[in-house]
Amino acid sequence: MITAERKPLSEIKEMIAPYKKILVAGCGSCVAECASGGEKEVGLLASALRMDAKMEGREAEIKEVTLDRQCVYEFIDQLTGLIGQYDAVLSLGCGAGVQAVAGIFPEAIILPALNTTFIGQTKEAGLWIENCRACGDCKLGYFAAVCPITRCAKGLFNGPCGGSKEGKCEVDPDAPCAWQLIVERLDKAGRLDLLQKVYPPADWSKQQGKGPRKIRREDQIV
Amino acid sequence: MRTDSRLKRVLEKGYFAVTAECGPPKGADPKVIKTKGKILKGFVDSVNVTDNQTGVVRLSSLAACVLLKKEGLDPVLQMTTRDRNRIALQSDVLGASALGIRNLLCLSGDHQSFGNQPQAKGVFDVDSIQLIQLVRQMRDNGVILGGDALSAPPRIFIGAVANPFADPFSYRVIRLGKKAAAGAEFIQTQCVYNLPRFMEWMNKVRDAGLHEKVYILGGITPLKSARMAEYMSKQVAGMDVPEEIINRMKSVPAKEQRQEGIRIAVETIKALQAIEGVRGIHVMAIEWEEAVPQLIEASGLFPRPEL
Amino acid sequence: MDQRSAGLNIVIFFCRQLDANQDVNRRALEKELGSRIKFFPLPCSGRIESLHLLRALETGADRVYLITCPEGSCRYREGNLRAGKRLAFAQGLIEEIGLERERLELIRATQDVQMTIDERAQEILMREAVVGPSPIKKSVAGPAV
Repeated sequence: MITAERKPLSEIKEMIAPYKKILVAGCGSCVAECASGGEKEVGLLASALRMDAKMEGREAEIKEVTLDRQCVYEFIDQLTGLIGQYDAVLSLGCGAGVQAVAGIFPEAIILPALNTTFIGQTKEAGLWIENCRACGDCKLGYFAAVCPITRCAKGLFNGPCGGSKEGKCEVDPDAPCAWQLIVERLDKAGRLDLLQKVYPPADWSKQQGKGPRKIRREDQIV
Repeated sequence: MRTDSRLKRVLEKGYFAVTAECGPPKGADPKVIKTKGKILKGFVDSVNVTDNQTGVVRLSSLAACVLLKKEGLDPVLQMTTRDRNRIALQSDVLGASALGIRNLLCLSGDHQSFGNQPQAKGVFDVDSIQLIQLVRQMRDNGVILGGDALSAPPRIFIGAVANPFADPFSYRVIRLGKKAAAGAEFIQTQCVYNLPRFMEWMNKVRDAGLHEKVYILGGITPLKSARMAEYMSKQVAGMDVPEEIINRMKSVPAKEQRQEGIRIAVETIKALQAIEGVRGIHVMAIEWEEAVPQLIEASGLFPRPEL
Repeated sequence: MDQRSAGLNIVIFFCRQLDANQDVNRRALEKELGSRIKFFPLPCSGRIESLHLLRALETGADRVYLITCPEGSCRYREGNLRAGKRLAFAQGLIEEIGLERERLELIRATQDVQMTIDERAQEILMREAVVGPSPIKKSVAGPAV
């Protein structure tokens, strides 16, 4: 999923300062899974903002709504009619959601309450770890399903580097050395041969694109 | 491929080679480099200049190499893949060759988070092995990545690094083989304090026949103090400093520790000379270049051969 | 001055397992103090959500207590530990808007002391009022002069 974390309240307050009627909009998808933007988190943030307004003697109307997803036009449509009643929308969607909503309601003020961080997995309750950098050219088949771009701090395709110690990365001693993992797994699977040849330089244009990347599927058009 | 690399000629002729490292300053004064060059001249065959080591901004390796060349030394340009993409790297290889620099050491480099610019974007467009391969293509096939022909190929003696003390131990020699196959011609290792472990690594290297494919130069860093020994042991990744060495440094009063460090280094050099497949040493006397002449003389490696 | 005399609004979330007769035992205090005391029994203190704690403050509580079973005694194993983490999270959040962390407090019951819920509540009411009435209760029309 896409993970995100709530911005500090001081930053959020600064963004919403000019506005009195605020719609706090959550997303029931990725950000709910990582406990930063789902219905509960919408409730927490709205409650905190209402209390804050009261303490400062400010007038504020803070309403809550949570969409199943904030990145799909069909779900965003549900805000039609509602959005016009507010001065601003404080979105707890990821960056994709915030912009998708802003794209459908271009006259509205949509503000991000979260810092979108990475694509990752829920490793265990309360722990999310990055594991994909959306390079557009998945090579996991050659690296025992351990992404060298994401999980090696130096993105080596012919690793490890000289800093790998006892299976840990020199850059983050809590992180496993991805190359240690790759070598061990391929060794166990009897496929160390996959590492014999020099893996050539990546085609980064697939990740970088020429500006924002897109996918077009004719067969999916309604 | 013919080059004017002194290092290459020394190794080809079978002499035990001596290279050293010159750390560039955190400033624009060329005198620092010239001074270090003068200290090392005559005691070494070639001089490496590090490339923004540890991610700390310093006078560039390429510029320092040119300054050293003017002093009559044979420089080894170091290029990490952390700061430059393939366009810049290939361009710098052409530029270095045009300036008469004939040795290139290819490394991935220390991660940018360690240095004084932790907010910098780490490029890592290619890794060290891909770099070795592409430099070899430029030199031997006269093409850059993607196949476009060069009007004039660079003349470069290609080097790489090896760390016999990092994990996973079993895979290290396989990776060395990969570097050799990619085009590495000489190897400079991480500094050696743990001789038994180094010899174990060399056994594996010889078993794989790699000592005949690449010239291996063992790394030497003379210890300045017991504190340095401890620091390197605990704080520097990929470093193996045995307890005996640390204790030996501790057993000597502070003002005699430098000499003890030199003594240990000389013993290590002599031991390396006796190992089959070790074709030289690479002295990394960081910010202690003045120790190099003493070290080389005490090891019986002075004067350097006349070619 | 103790919290009872200070007239503070007290909210108590607590684990049902602490007092089998809690619904009877709390009636007297509820009658005496009316809206100034609210009891919320939980099947396990670990069922508390940070949101409940925030809403309690938002609706006018001056102090919110969460009473858990003794360490190691949670019927559902780590519910009482989870409760502590959620309370700590809520404390962090209210601190960001300038409300004192102390308004939310965790009380861990101990093995050796058995108290009914009203006994616990009385003990709480006798405590020194370390924070005053909540600033949330100021009128929206403007700060007090």
